[in-house]
Amino acid sequence: MKFGNLIIAGLVTGSIYAVFAVCIAVWYRVANILNLAVGDFAMIGALGVDNLVREKHWSLPAAIAATLAAAAGTAYVYDRIVLRLAQDGRRRQEGIVIIFFFTFALSFFIDGVAKVLFGTNVHAAPALWAGNSLTFLSGLHLERAGLLVLACAVASGLLFTAYIRYTLSGKAMEACGENHLGARIVGIDPRRYRRIIFVMTAVLAAVFGILESPITGYTFNSGATISVTGFIAAAYGGFQKPGRAVAAGIGIGILEALLGGYVSSQYGQTLLYAVLALVVLVRPGAMGLQPAAGG
Amino acid sequence: MAGDDPALRVTGMSVAYGNVVAVHDATFTVGKGDSVAIVGPNGNGKSSILMGLAGLVPRSGRVEIFNAPAPAGDVMWMSRRGLTLVPERRQLYPQLSAADNILLGCYSWTRSIRKARRSAAFARAVELFPELRSHLDQQAGTLSGGEQQMVAIARGLAGDPKIFAVDEPCLGLAESVSGRVYEALARIHEDGRTLIVVEEAPKRALRICARQIEVRNGVVV
Repeated sequence: MKFGNLIIAGLVTGSIYAVFAVCIAVWYRVANILNLAVGDFAMIGALGVDNLVREKHWSLPAAIAATLAAAAGTAYVYDRIVLRLAQDGRRRQEGIVIIFFFTFALSFFIDGVAKVLFGTNVHAAPALWAGNSLTFLSGLHLERAGLLVLACAVASGLLFTAYIRYTLSGKAMEACGENHLGARIVGIDPRRYRRIIFVMTAVLAAVFGILESPITGYTFNSGATISVTGFIAAAYGGFQKPGRAVAAGIGIGILEALLGGYVSSQYGQTLLYAVLALVVLVRPGAMGLQPAAGG
Repeated sequence: MAGDDPALRVTGMSVAYGNVVAVHDATFTVGKGDSVAIVGPNGNGKSSILMGLAGLVPRSGRVEIFNAPAPAGDVMWMSRRGLTLVPERRQLYPQLSAADNILLGCYSWTRSIRKARRSAAFARAVELFPELRSHLDQQAGTLSGGEQQMVAIARGLAGDPKIFAVDEPCLGLAESVSGRVYEALARIHEDGRTLIVVEEAPKRALRICARQIEVRNGVVV
């Protein structure tokens, strides 16, 4: 039963990594920028809702709405002011500066503001589905929050797939990822898609922060770990293949749970990064920073 | 021929890449329903004229489409106003199917996938090359060069353009495929669209184009 429970725990964590990996991979395809602040938006979701409910005594729905609006607003303003100047202006930034630097800076900025607003203690948004963990097959346990995380991860995946397959806007987004010049020729504005996806992924990350925080708890700097794990999972998909990023995210989650359960609960995450580093050493091709669409 | 109400009026257009001037002070007009070949040796600025017109590279000077002044560097504006460019090297979306590539041509006039799929423009584009019918579900990147060029032309036509501009449509294609491509371009022109073809081989282009604009060393002669 221990193995089954570890797999369930790993699936929950892995589904979150998978969602963040897809957020990173999809945005990289379109914008040629790696979103290293995606975990910080999750932190905004968790700590924002907690703060508004616990300290300001807002109702939970109002707190969730306000926090998601704050995450969307932060992403929108950052794109309009910073990314627009960096990528679309006369002094357009190229290479590693634009790929890493601007979202890395955003991550530090969000952490700094969060430290001032929320302090350094561990907090969690109120559970959306309170109660004891669910037990099935006489021994397997699943937290209610974990079930919500899994359900939302599957729903997000299905919605995203439907968006790509059944809407012209979704296909236009794919076209931006395939060929910027080819996209512009038919009237698609890749900058608009860069903005839309950045805002959408910020909101999605905040939603998962709200859902997951009752399980793990969040501090002002929890976002960096999530971003790094999402980044690694996206890297295993070469930053180009969201399907592979999902598989890698789930694989990392399960591996993390098994290492924590069977080897060391204290050093589970450290061992995880060591194993991932070993995989890269043995099979360097598994992780590749392929250039995004050019033109 | 161009009259008082031309489809395209270009006045003093220059295109430069850094310090290198590719097109200098180009002035010409193209009438509604006209068919024009832009000819000249390779590397003399023919493609840069089209790229500048379409807004894909920075340009100076004045460009008007149906008497409306075009903002420089705004390719989206040009495509919505009815100028479609089929660029050199096709610029397809290799991992999307041929059908999706063509469908995205409709993006310049609709955001509705249902409207796009049911449109006459999409049907015309798909029917332009019957030989593509069995390859519509295939990834565009796996098609032959000739088939990719057909998809690129069909994608351009799905935008229901008033001005159809195509850059070196037969580059690297077998003679038989080039013949099919030119048949299709002739059909597009016969439907009443203004046609601009950039072509290194003027003989081939002048089979379907009524006049030519010659470019030498970046200057329209």
